[in-house]
Amino acid sequence: MASGGKGRADSKAQQEFVSEAEDILERMRDDLSAVAEATQSGDETDPDVVNRLFRSAHSLKGLSGMFGFQAMSDLAHHLEDLLDGLRMGRVQLSAAGIALFDESMGVIAAVLADPGSETVTASAEREIHAIIERIEAWNRDPTADPDAGQGGSQLPDSLLRALTEYEEHRLRESQRRGKGIYVVDVDFEIASFEEGLGEISAAIKEVGEIISTLPSPGDTPDSHIRFSLLTATQLSRADLATRLDLPEASIAVGDPPREPSEGPGSSTAESEPGEIEAPATEHATHEQTTLKSISDTVRVDIKKLDELMNLVGELSIQKGAIRRLAHKLGIDPATARAGAELEKMHRSLERKLQELQAGVLEVRMVPLRQVFDKLSRVVRRLRLDLQKEVELEIHGADTELDKLIVEELVDPLMHIVRNAFDHAIEPAGERERAGKAASGRIRIEALQRGNDVVIAVSDDGRGIDARAVLERARQRGLVPADAELTTKEALDLVFLPGLSTREAVTETSGRGVGMDVVRSNIAALGGMVDIESRTGEGTTITIILPITLAIIQALIVGVGDHRFAIPLNSVRETLLVDLSEVQRSEGRELLNLRGEPLSLRHLSEEFRLSSRNRDGKQYVVVLGMGDARMGLIVDRLEGQQDTVIKPIQGPIREVRGIAGATELGEQGAVLVLDVAALVDDLGRRGDA
Amino acid sequence: MSVAQHQSGATWDLLARVAAGSGEGEEPVILRELLAFSLAGDRYAVPVERVREIVRMRQLTPVPRVPAEILGVISLRGEIVQVMDLRMRLGVEVSDSSRTSRIMVLHGDEGAVTGLLVDTVSEVLRVPEEAFRPAAAGEAEFVTDLCEHDGHFVSILSVERVLNVGS
Repeated sequence: MASGGKGRADSKAQQEFVSEAEDILERMRDDLSAVAEATQSGDETDPDVVNRLFRSAHSLKGLSGMFGFQAMSDLAHHLEDLLDGLRMGRVQLSAAGIALFDESMGVIAAVLADPGSETVTASAEREIHAIIERIEAWNRDPTADPDAGQGGSQLPDSLLRALTEYEEHRLRESQRRGKGIYVVDVDFEIASFEEGLGEISAAIKEVGEIISTLPSPGDTPDSHIRFSLLTATQLSRADLATRLDLPEASIAVGDPPREPSEGPGSSTAESEPGEIEAPATEHATHEQTTLKSISDTVRVDIKKLDELMNLVGELSIQKGAIRRLAHKLGIDPATARAGAELEKMHRSLERKLQELQAGVLEVRMVPLRQVFDKLSRVVRRLRLDLQKEVELEIHGADTELDKLIVEELVDPLMHIVRNAFDHAIEPAGERERAGKAASGRIRIEALQRGNDVVIAVSDDGRGIDARAVLERARQRGLVPADAELTTKEALDLVFLPGLSTREAVTETSGRGVGMDVVRSNIAALGGMVDIESRTGEGTTITIILPITLAIIQALIVGVGDHRFAIPLNSVRETLLVDLSEVQRSEGRELLNLRGEPLSLRHLSEEFRLSSRNRDGKQYVVVLGMGDARMGLIVDRLEGQQDTVIKPIQGPIREVRGIAGATELGEQGAVLVLDVAALVDDLGRRGDA
Repeated sequence: MSVAQHQSGATWDLLARVAAGSGEGEEPVILRELLAFSLAGDRYAVPVERVREIVRMRQLTPVPRVPAEILGVISLRGEIVQVMDLRMRLGVEVSDSSRTSRIMVLHGDEGAVTGLLVDTVSEVLRVPEEAFRPAAAGEAEFVTDLCEHDGHFVSILSVERVLNVGS
């Protein structure tokens, strides 16, 4: 049944498997220790905990099966069985049982630690089989010491390995019911074996069940073929031999039959020899429940969801065509009625389309828990490696984000957390001298805010010395020697590539490893990073991301004949201003926005477009990227729209200020502004 | 194929030999398929395997900050594709696009496509490689070869060079 590398996915998938399996294992260990405590103190075990354990074993089974770790899947399956018994009150977990459980976890952990190497896998597989046998033995008789019951089943390994999962299940089930398990070896002439096999099979079925019919190798003459029939029956070996008219020697005993009352797992009613229907139906229901729980989830390639998304886009264009037609029909009195009908259909189509779009989007959403669990593992590992007491607090793990974003978020977050652990949080002695708790604290909090998700990572470490950062930046010529920066501006310097190197700021500020990379990763997702810090008190790094990359809310603005889309997450507000309110400083236009100067740019000038509106009132879209603000002057605001940003294909790879384009029904393609670039350009021009 | 019957001159001779099979033990002849189109009355062609599809002119969205020959972008079943005015790119006379104007969507690098606006797309030519005549070196920027068809020369364009706008 077990096959080492068969069907095993590539290494990345394997890593994913290992990390997920480790998570499950971690949870199981926690729950198991709760069960152990309860058992030790003689309390009743918390059914919730047992249920959780059961579900964990079930997930582990499915997961390892999916990734081709068959042996592990089998072991998980056995644990699941055992837990099912516990859950249903069929068995009580003794200290010995818990020890066995613990050992199983150990074996799984060992496999996970080195899933790739075949040699380790082979020996680990042997270990797994050994422990499975012991679980089976224990499952049959939980009162027995599991260590003693090693030889419960004397079936040869080669035979066990050849069983399908179904057959294995039947075998276990029969054992559980206290039936005798035999291997009946029979020889036939090749010419007539079908007949002979049919006869003996029928004979066995009268008194029991054939779990599996296996052709067996061995020293049969060429003209003969031998079969091993794995048989479960209530009969003793001698009786079986008589019934089948075979010498006793050709029947090997796997397990002798037990009295029906012996095992706690065996139901009392069903034990009549020859009764085949009952176990079959029971098996069917069992199988149904397993199938059901497995098919609860489906793995889908995200590209397929992208395709669906495109289809939705195309449908909405069709919808636009219907609307135009409805309009046309509506104008002519002769067809006005049909036009009104069509218009009605159009509206309901629109509603359904919106639901469809929302549905597809929702499918793409995954909770941040996936990432956060990885982070807690990193922290646990760091705790061991660095011998530092740091607690990790996680809030809002249920916050959902687009799968693609979540994937891309792992590295930046890992970076931030590692930095906080490694550099920001002081050694215990230093913390105590500073009057802090000896153990440090990293807090990760996620929450949804409108169309964005905000993730804040804060630590209570030494904080960043803004002055030291500024000093370094000056030394490196990243800022002019006479530049005067606010604390905030100085802190933002840690995002500069030149400063984000270990030697630059680690000792003085306790941060700075690759923060530029973090920022560019987040920016690539359409998000932004912000940093706040107080010397001696700690640092908070805030990441703001759009919920989905697939669909963004955009503000559609118009300049002359042109239309542009601005991602709403970078729009702070929109203003209608009179040109007389615009002030000038060194040729740059400014607006007094509640006491703060807001630099203005005309989108028409930026893109050399002809603007219709050169006097009177104008619209200002206040754009924000982090702390930077900028006012963009446009002719019109045309409303908000859900848009799918697409890359622009063609010979020109990049257009500064354009992030992509989106399709707006009958209006064709509309360009999406790259707000970060526009704001950046403004800043650069200001420096020059 | 009817196009082949209209072939003339050297091309026709070659085709005739192809049709006759390997008669006198000659080397096999490789035919190349070209999509022919016209620009300001002259005939041009590109290898047919570079053409993904041919679409009518549609709603074009201009793009700022790009060279003038990039007319803008169109939406092609959800894909956003740049459209280049090939006349402008080749420096031939530019007239308003007409009813026969088409956008040839060509495969570029890395799976990206580009639309080329041309006056009329006429036909697919099957031309033996031997009929190719290299374009005058140093004179032609985008034309690699010429081949004769109906007594006129068809200029065969290098898609790479045409699409290489950036440099």
